[in-house]
Amino acid sequence: MNLSWQPVEPAYKTYLQLVVITDMVILALIGLIIYILPTEWQWLPQPLWVGIPWAVFTLAMTFIWPSRRLQFTAYARPDEAVFLRRGALWQTTRAVPINRIQHVEVRQGFIERTLGLAHLVLYTAGSSGADLSIPGLKLATAEQIKHELIQTITQQPIAQETHE
Amino acid sequence: MNKLSWHRTPLLTIVFFAAKEIRALVRNITNLLPVLAAVVVTDKLWVTYSVIGAYLTYIVIRAVLNQRYFLYSLADDAIHLRSGILGKTNLTLKYERIQQAEIDQSWYLRPFGLVTLRIDSAGSAGKEVEIPGLSMTRAHYLRERMLDGTATADATTECVAGTDAVAEQAVDTAVTKPVKHIQFPLGEVFRAGLIDNKIFVIFAVLMYPITQGDFFEELVIPWLTKQLSFIQSSAIMSIGIVVLTILVMFFIAIGLTMLRYYNLQLTVVDQLYQARMGLLSIRTLGFRYEKLQRVQIRQNIRSRLLRRYTASVNQLQPRATGQQQESTTFVLPILTVEQLSQFCQWLGLPRTDTLLWQKIHFISLLHPSFWIALTAPAIALTCYFNDVTGLVSLAIAAGTWVLLQAYAVARWHRYGFVIEHGWLAKRHGVFGRKENWYPLYKAQQISVYQSPWLRVLGYAHLVIHSAAGTEMIKYQPYQTAVALQQEWVQRIGTDFRRWM
Repeated sequence: MNLSWQPVEPAYKTYLQLVVITDMVILALIGLIIYILPTEWQWLPQPLWVGIPWAVFTLAMTFIWPSRRLQFTAYARPDEAVFLRRGALWQTTRAVPINRIQHVEVRQGFIERTLGLAHLVLYTAGSSGADLSIPGLKLATAEQIKHELIQTITQQPIAQETHE
Repeated sequence: MNKLSWHRTPLLTIVFFAAKEIRALVRNITNLLPVLAAVVVTDKLWVTYSVIGAYLTYIVIRAVLNQRYFLYSLADDAIHLRSGILGKTNLTLKYERIQQAEIDQSWYLRPFGLVTLRIDSAGSAGKEVEIPGLSMTRAHYLRERMLDGTATADATTECVAGTDAVAEQAVDTAVTKPVKHIQFPLGEVFRAGLIDNKIFVIFAVLMYPITQGDFFEELVIPWLTKQLSFIQSSAIMSIGIVVLTILVMFFIAIGLTMLRYYNLQLTVVDQLYQARMGLLSIRTLGFRYEKLQRVQIRQNIRSRLLRRYTASVNQLQPRATGQQQESTTFVLPILTVEQLSQFCQWLGLPRTDTLLWQKIHFISLLHPSFWIALTAPAIALTCYFNDVTGLVSLAIAAGTWVLLQAYAVARWHRYGFVIEHGWLAKRHGVFGRKENWYPLYKAQQISVYQSPWLRVLGYAHLVIHSAAGTEMIKYQPYQTAVALQQEWVQRIGTDFRRWM
């Protein structure tokens, strides 16, 4: 079976960068508050010892990680399943058979909405790790895939009894 | 909706609702710690009494009201429930969505011939539904109908009456359907108690209140020393008391298990599996074959010595609970080799001695071996700086390293998986052993996972998400893993049999 992998929108990279920056700014604010508060901070390291790793980490996460992640993230839709590969360093390729999908959901977060993106979540009955979430889709694309999936599911033959 | 006839449970079930309240109290005991502290700290007796009195009154009132407002109705295809004192709940549950039904003859309802029906549904909220105070006949009829999944219940099951309904029903239906039956004698149940020994749980339960607060140290210990001062004079006696306590707890633990599994019998009629057990409270667990999602076969060290197995069958696990509670799982605690192979045959497991368990590549040893190799110098250094002579430290480090490494190799040696007749099985464990069997066509998701380390080696983990838990097959060559994933997904995606 040859899978035709569909890449996600390039705006997904911008989205990841925005998420990273937001998180790192929040972290920095927390750090600042700790340093500014008039507590006994003899035991705290010099601000530079914290600041430089923070800056290096932020730069790496902003410029290297999102592009790697965008490069690997893709989905494929053969007839009987939905495939998704995700991750930058720790990579996972997930596959959900279409007849195991319980419900489908299109979600848009705040940052995603400003970029016109959405992600599509396929829920299965498995344990909590068994959901599949395709990120970085255009809202219209996500809605369309959702529609097609639901069409396919409703057209499937009704479950037969398993008596052998 | 007006054709529904609503029933109220008998007045006696107030006891059931009260028991539920008390269980809730025990579960949420930590929330009440401030109150408890007040009770313990105060020296005014009336505070203690009023707190206890108020709580008892509260429980009784709540139980009465809960019983009063609990209504159920049984339609042809679904069960309807109405409950709640202030916040009302309306619940509708389709019979065909029920995963497991259990009839519980609690000791306080048993003398009156009443039972509690407990139902596990496939809902994501993971709510258990309980209907107390049904008559045995009615409960059996209902359960039969629910597990049948269809509206047409068999006529044979309706005319069953009396407390030995299961046995009679087995006889009744024997005319039409083949009945398979295993009875577990008392000796076997005693062995089950040995295997499934909860002594550590009892220890933990006893230790918890002891370690909480100064109450114990200030009051109980002085009292004990005063009473038992004659014991302290003799070392043999104090050792004897400790040994005796442990022995008593050991036998209490065995007794608890025996109470639970007393007179265990397994009956298989057509596709319906049921197990009946218990001395004081009799429970009857049952499931339909097509709801099966996982079979687990376990052995701990004790059961390996006794040459027995424990088998449990899992259905769809509600997401909220994550792990299915032990109390509601279908477990056969003790099976001989013959009984196990019989049970496996009934379930259709292709479990034979000639199974070719596939091992994983020995490269998987690299990662644990690396960490084990690091512990050896660490242990040697720690010993050395704690005034142990150099030679002895080296010997200890080397010995530990050899033991740990041998364990890692043994683990790798025992690790294996097999795919046979549409079943996926994985086994692991060195001292205690575990085998998990999954009907592959019921899997929910198949993943291929690669960490940077695995990518360097060119290997990947294969992760199978089933409806009853997640299983991982480690260290497959990347290409094999991807090929297996695609093959399995294709097979599942084109299989339109019922999976739940």
